[in-house]
Amino acid sequence: MIELALTRRTFLAGTSLAVIAQRLVSGTSAWAAPGAKVGTTAPVFTIDATTGKHVSLADYKGQLVVLEWTNHDCPYVRKHYDSGNMQALQKEATGQGVVWLTLISSSPGTQGFVTAGQADELTTTRKASPTAVLLDPTGAVGKMYGATNTPHMYVVDKAGLLVYAGAIDDRPTTRRSDVQGAQNYVREALQAVSAGQPVKTPVTRAYGCTVKYS
Amino acid sequence: MTSWRRRFAFIVVLLAGIAVLLGTPGPARAAEPKVRVELLSEVASIVPGETFWLALRQEIAPGWHTYWMNPGDSGEPPRIEWSLPKGFTAGDFVWPPPERIAVGPAMTYGYSNGVVLPVAVTAPRDLVPGTRLALRGQASWIVCEKICIPEEAPLALTLPVGAGPAQLDAASAPLIAAARRSVPAPSPWPASFTATSDTVTLTVAARGLAADRVAEVWFYPARWGAIEQAAPQRVSISPDAVTLAVARGPLPEAVSAPIDGVLVVAERLDASVSRQAFTVRAEPRALDGGANALSILRALVLALAGGVVLNLMPCVLPVLSMKAFGLVQHASERPAALRLHGITYTAGVLASFAVVAGVLLALRAGGEQLGWGFQLQSPVFVTLLALVLFAVALSLSGVIVIGSRWSGAGQALASRAGYAGSFFTGALATVAATPCTAPFMGVAVGYAVTQPWLTALLVFEALGLGLALPFLLLTLAPAWRRLLPAPGPWMTRVQQLLAFPLYASVAWLVWVVSQQAGSPGVAAALAGLVLIAFAAWLHGLVRDSARLKRRVTSVIALALVVAAVALGAIASPGSAARTAGSAATKSDGWEPFSPARLAQLRAAGTPVFVNITAAWCLTCLVNERVALRTPAVEDVFARKGVVMLKADWTRRDPVITQVLGTFGRNGVPLYLLYPAGGATREPAVLPQILSERILIDATKEVL
Repeated sequence: MIELALTRRTFLAGTSLAVIAQRLVSGTSAWAAPGAKVGTTAPVFTIDATTGKHVSLADYKGQLVVLEWTNHDCPYVRKHYDSGNMQALQKEATGQGVVWLTLISSSPGTQGFVTAGQADELTTTRKASPTAVLLDPTGAVGKMYGATNTPHMYVVDKAGLLVYAGAIDDRPTTRRSDVQGAQNYVREALQAVSAGQPVKTPVTRAYGCTVKYS
Repeated sequence: MTSWRRRFAFIVVLLAGIAVLLGTPGPARAAEPKVRVELLSEVASIVPGETFWLALRQEIAPGWHTYWMNPGDSGEPPRIEWSLPKGFTAGDFVWPPPERIAVGPAMTYGYSNGVVLPVAVTAPRDLVPGTRLALRGQASWIVCEKICIPEEAPLALTLPVGAGPAQLDAASAPLIAAARRSVPAPSPWPASFTATSDTVTLTVAARGLAADRVAEVWFYPARWGAIEQAAPQRVSISPDAVTLAVARGPLPEAVSAPIDGVLVVAERLDASVSRQAFTVRAEPRALDGGANALSILRALVLALAGGVVLNLMPCVLPVLSMKAFGLVQHASERPAALRLHGITYTAGVLASFAVVAGVLLALRAGGEQLGWGFQLQSPVFVTLLALVLFAVALSLSGVIVIGSRWSGAGQALASRAGYAGSFFTGALATVAATPCTAPFMGVAVGYAVTQPWLTALLVFEALGLGLALPFLLLTLAPAWRRLLPAPGPWMTRVQQLLAFPLYASVAWLVWVVSQQAGSPGVAAALAGLVLIAFAAWLHGLVRDSARLKRRVTSVIALALVVAAVALGAIASPGSAARTAGSAATKSDGWEPFSPARLAQLRAAGTPVFVNITAAWCLTCLVNERVALRTPAVEDVFARKGVVMLKADWTRRDPVITQVLGTFGRNGVPLYLLYPAGGATREPAVLPQILSERILIDATKEVL
């Protein structure tokens, strides 16, 4: 005979079953969004710099860090280097003690792939002033951050939190003239974080060429 | 070295040199543009003051692509900087649906091979016919394969100003027309989305898509950020909606505004695949907001709660009281027998719900637009229900004791007929419950009919279980029975009293018949009631007589009942008064609802209140009485210029059923308040139980 007695145990069993059922019904996506999420800890990586030294993000704990994905042949990158915009921002940032890491994730044989020597030569000829240029030919670090474009910009605060991810500015074009008067999101983020304020525009659509992963 | 050897060496060196030269990519080779562009015009001449179509045609080198308005994770849409003659204005491109171009972890949207992007251009009025005008612009775009190249080209087209109607350009007009045909049309279905921290679930209430014919569904967001563009979109298709679940995008604020985009549905035809594209604006919706966001578990819980509340409805309560009194009388009887009664009663309810759900789902599968309470749209059924409830009411009044067994009072509950009676009571309770909509129920049933049949059946059965639950628990848990009052003469009084809600229900049902079938229907129903009363009297008369006499009278009584039922059936469905309903609604400030009228009012920016109701819906009638037709509400509506539309679902109406469906509902009442202003603004869906306060507050909020 069925005796319906709502004991605490059956109740608990019932609710946990319900929870399981809900999980089953609602389902969770097996697809994980690639990349680092703004507001969470920036993924820590260790790779080779053009100097041959290992560089780790952990080395710069306590400092503001800018990550710049680049590909010197990409027209969008050229817009910012040929106009001097990127170099000016690098100089301004590093002058204030910000660590600027330029990353190259083009795989060998694709556009933008460079050897350490070629990368240093580019830095010299373009009068760039990054703290270091990091070589990521396997794309491991790029994919860790979900970098899809060149240029693709990230800002990491002193506590190691990712506070900005996206475009360098609000003009998604290849026209050099558009640099003038553009709203530079990276500069804004650096200024806000330095002033101890929250970043007003923490996520934007990065624009540029796709990163040439293998 | 011999001369031929020298010659051979020379040739080898030469060939090697050529090979090196050919194989070296470099700036030495002239850059061939990857995209050839052309400015097309739909017309061969410009008519002053008229709008005509130009188009940017791109022919794209194989393997390369250009971009859609939302290029996705990378890229950039093409643009034109116009240098048009004075007074000309050019609009934005209209965009044919794009393709998906996956690049590593990124997803981009664009075009390969070629595309025609139309632009509407309006000419000023003061043009001189006979002159020729040059339309110029500079097109720029980015074209990508593995690498990306920005390209640009000047555009120019010279057209004469014509005096008469515009002549079409024979070569270009068909190209532009084809491109415009492929531009996504506004979706005819409402869309909404819910967002969790990691998933955005988009629901487009697209009816009639057959899951087995749909080859592919993809949602292309109009802007970056709301969804992960490279993530798979998990699609589920029901007869009423397409649902896509996709990983949430990185832009946090993107899910607090509507998500615009293009839904492309590829449908398998006999020999080909047809791609349809629709523009969709999905409104954000709280997770627990509407039926489509319901998980099956929530629907089941809501249905269960709705079922329990149904017990208190005026049509169900008297029927149940008979059962409950039997229980009070026999509270001390064998628990096993009582339990069996509870279980058979529950079985009766569940079986009846299965029948109702089965019929409903079968008819829906056959393309009928039906909802909960659908049987009440038939005057024949309404008449039968009136007859049954009348008989039950007579029994409660003490005029008859039907079989004196199934009602349970005073008889051995444990008899086998008693169990059949319990089962029958369950069925009766279900039938009596159909005119009532309890709170929670509308949402659950609305959800159920959009689901696969098994889920739908589960929800209906949960509703039934809720209806059966109070009685079932009383019979299962002996301890709870101690809470019941002691039996006594008071029970007769209460039973007699409870007959009156039933009489009232009968009166109301006859009125419903009058709405559905006019005076002939009412005449038939009333005659049926008289016959039932007469049969009841006969039955009571011979109850204590000899067996034969009893038999004969029973047969006569039965014949009377059959006659009554037949009368009800003859009460011609839809003969008279077909138009009475809509004609009557024009009075007292309510206009009859039609989608066209609504669209017209919306286009004019007029605020509209839509009342979807039915004569057989008790809740609806109560709402009208206590809230909708009160001076305070009428005053507010009048001051705000709200036009009141009434959609009468008393009879079957596929148009109204569809409107209900678009709001995740499958039954009445449904109240919609459309705010003033643009036609795209979504209505507020008001609760199913209204009060003056709710109406006035809602009106103030949106107007």
